[in-house]
Amino acid sequence: METHKTAQAPSEHDDPEVDVTAESDAARRQRFERDALEYVDQLYSAAMRMTRNPQDAEDLVQEAYTKAYSSFHQYRPGTNLKAWLYRILTNTYINLYRKRQRQPQQAATDTVEDWQMAKAAQHTSTGLRSAETEALDHLPDSDVKDALQAIPEEFRLAVYFADVEGFAYKEIAEILDIPIGTVMSRLHRGRKLLRGLLTDYARERGIKVEPKTPKTPKAAPKKGGTKTTTSKNAESDAGATGGTEEQEAGR
Amino acid sequence: MSADCEKIGDCEDARIQRLYEYLDGALTHEDLEEVRSHLEECTECAHEYDLECIIRSVVRRSCTEKAPDALKVNIMARISQIRVEAGH
Repeated sequence: METHKTAQAPSEHDDPEVDVTAESDAARRQRFERDALEYVDQLYSAAMRMTRNPQDAEDLVQEAYTKAYSSFHQYRPGTNLKAWLYRILTNTYINLYRKRQRQPQQAATDTVEDWQMAKAAQHTSTGLRSAETEALDHLPDSDVKDALQAIPEEFRLAVYFADVEGFAYKEIAEILDIPIGTVMSRLHRGRKLLRGLLTDYARERGIKVEPKTPKTPKAAPKKGGTKTTTSKNAESDAGATGGTEEQEAGR
Repeated sequence: MSADCEKIGDCEDARIQRLYEYLDGALTHEDLEEVRSHLEECTECAHEYDLECIIRSVVRRSCTEKAPDALKVNIMARISQIRVEAGH
């Protein structure tokens, strides 16, 4: 598999030559409809990751687009309209929506349980077998969404923007209004957590997981061995405490 | 892990971070080549890499949704309404 590039090509319509100051209202409306509405599906998907339900996601996207339209004259054509819209979406969500929801938000970064990180670390150090790789590939969409939903919001959005939308670190930093170091740290932790959860789901789906190949091979009998994940967990849990904490740079 | 793994990071965490940066297109050309050649030699790191690729593709696949048809229409209707209210 090849490395995929992250830089966002500006929309082919988003013409840098437009003279925003001289533009009529009708022309601006038309330009907005053509250039900005192109991203409605993507913004809706992101809104679903934020609000978790279709009606709220729709409201959020509508609100964000309305705001975007009001300040569309401030957007400099040809300078990454998609990131600009995402930033408005994120701000709208944070300022308006999250307050309204009044959910005790999973206060993210600092309170990720140690066991969660330990669990995630366990997966990175295990060296997954290809059967499990296969199983991950076949996980139903609902499991994947659940897993993403289960990680703290700050991590979730960073992971979503990077892995689904392919935004570069710098773009994510601008969208979320945080330093690049913080973006990287959230991505690191978020991806680890996500991976841990997805691997768990794959296991729960009844995928037989080969035990980790020991670094120093033991002459363990292969036949009739029921895989005892408990002993494995105990071993990894003991080994994985500490060493997983990262500082969020610049906070 | 082979001794060579140290080339891309001196601990598990550093290595995985390196792979993230590799996949994110965030490395310099030189570093990128170093990771690339290491992945060709080291099955363990290559496996980590594959796993990350799969997770990304699975997440992308699962989280791509289509907005309801009415949404675009509603957005434009709302915008028109704002313009009317603003006296345009």
